[in-house]
Amino acid sequence: MSDSPFAVSTVFSIGSIGISQTVVTTWAILAVLGVGSFLATLRLSVKPGPVQEVLELVVTAIDDQIKATISGDPGRFRALIGTLLLFILAANWSSLIPSVEPPTAHLETDAALAVIVFVATIAYGLRAQGVWGYLKSFARPTWVMIPLNLIEQVTRSFSLMVRLFGNVMSGVFVIGIVLSLAGLLVPIPLMALDLLTGAVQAYIFAILALVFIASAVETDAPPKKDPPA
Amino acid sequence: MQFDWITFGLQIVNVLVLLAILRHFLFRPVAGIIARRQAETRAAMDAAEKAKSDALKATALAQQEAEKTAAARHDVLTRAQADAEEQRKQLLEAARKEAAAILAAARADAQKTARDAEAETLRRARDLAEAIAERALSALPVPPTVEGYAARLAETIGALPEDRRAALLGGKNLRVISPHPLSGNDRKIIDAALKPFGIAAAEVQIDPALVAGLDLSSSTGTVHNSLTHDLTRISEALKDDHETRP
Repeated sequence: MSDSPFAVSTVFSIGSIGISQTVVTTWAILAVLGVGSFLATLRLSVKPGPVQEVLELVVTAIDDQIKATISGDPGRFRALIGTLLLFILAANWSSLIPSVEPPTAHLETDAALAVIVFVATIAYGLRAQGVWGYLKSFARPTWVMIPLNLIEQVTRSFSLMVRLFGNVMSGVFVIGIVLSLAGLLVPIPLMALDLLTGAVQAYIFAILALVFIASAVETDAPPKKDPPA
Repeated sequence: MQFDWITFGLQIVNVLVLLAILRHFLFRPVAGIIARRQAETRAAMDAAEKAKSDALKATALAQQEAEKTAAARHDVLTRAQADAEEQRKQLLEAARKEAAAILAAARADAQKTARDAEAETLRRARDLAEAIAERALSALPVPPTVEGYAARLAETIGALPEDRRAALLGGKNLRVISPHPLSGNDRKIIDAALKPFGIAAAEVQIDPALVAGLDLSSSTGTVHNSLTHDLTRISEALKDDHETRP
């Protein structure tokens, strides 16, 4: 870990664009996940093998979580929520590899994820309720809430970013500090704890993104009553 | 604080690229295969449901067939029992008729046998009677009167051995036995015949059982000279002939 959690180390440059270590690590994760997915789904069969059973378990668990939060077809949100979960999990657990800093320990990655969730929430809300319906959702339960709801849209995405960044970065820093103070084997329990924290943070990020999208997609307006005869 | 906007932008692009990759290579194929399996499972369930329904229908059909078969079996058994009863009655009637015919034939045979036996018996009796009569007639004295019998009596006494004749004549209660009372002429003839043996005016005893003839009897013996004795002797002789015949 570098001295400052906000420091960005450039590995190489493409023209005037400096490619940071975070981006390189993300590319590696992206390659592993992409190639792994390609290889794992090469021979899908109705009678699954062990690898396919694990993949189906993951997809089914994601679908069940989506269905428990949003009614309707879970396939609309499966790719986004699943990608967030798998990427953050892989990024958090990449700290187990020596001399690799998890991309989520850098604010740029967490901010990028939060922006994606922010934009996706708005996009899903507009697609589900239309422009006017989506805008009206900010006036619920009353128009007085409009400023607070608008602020909430930003702050909750900001909190997503900060939560993930703080947890992962602090874990990495703690392990780094303990490693510099104690022996080689002392940080292992902390690393195991970091694995748990990474999984929990990935789950929390994905579930919160799902909840935000659900709040934008599903209207909580009371059902219209039939006019009196 | 340092925030690298280039890294930020690249990370957005990276995550979106990863999203596209995972959507294409992971989530879509896996969800597809799950949906395909669910469809196949539903199809298998539907097929199983249809097979179950078909099996239930087939079971019901088989049940109906079994009931029909049981009813047909019952009918066949009932008809067979009726036929068997009818055949039993017919056989019984035929057996009864046959037995009656056999009985009638046996009775006829028995009657014929009895008639034949009776005829045979009559024939034998006739033959026997003829033989007895023939022998009796041949044994009769000539003439078959008191005179003839007196002469045959004297001849018989004369033929006796001396000792036996003396014993006979010396016995007490010497008498002549006749089947009927004798006339005076008859007594004369008898006395004349017995005179050579020293017998004079012998007492006469009447015994109808002699039928015909004259016997001389005393306490020591009897000289038989009657038709009854002849017939008895002929009968015994015929009996001996019959018993000695093979």
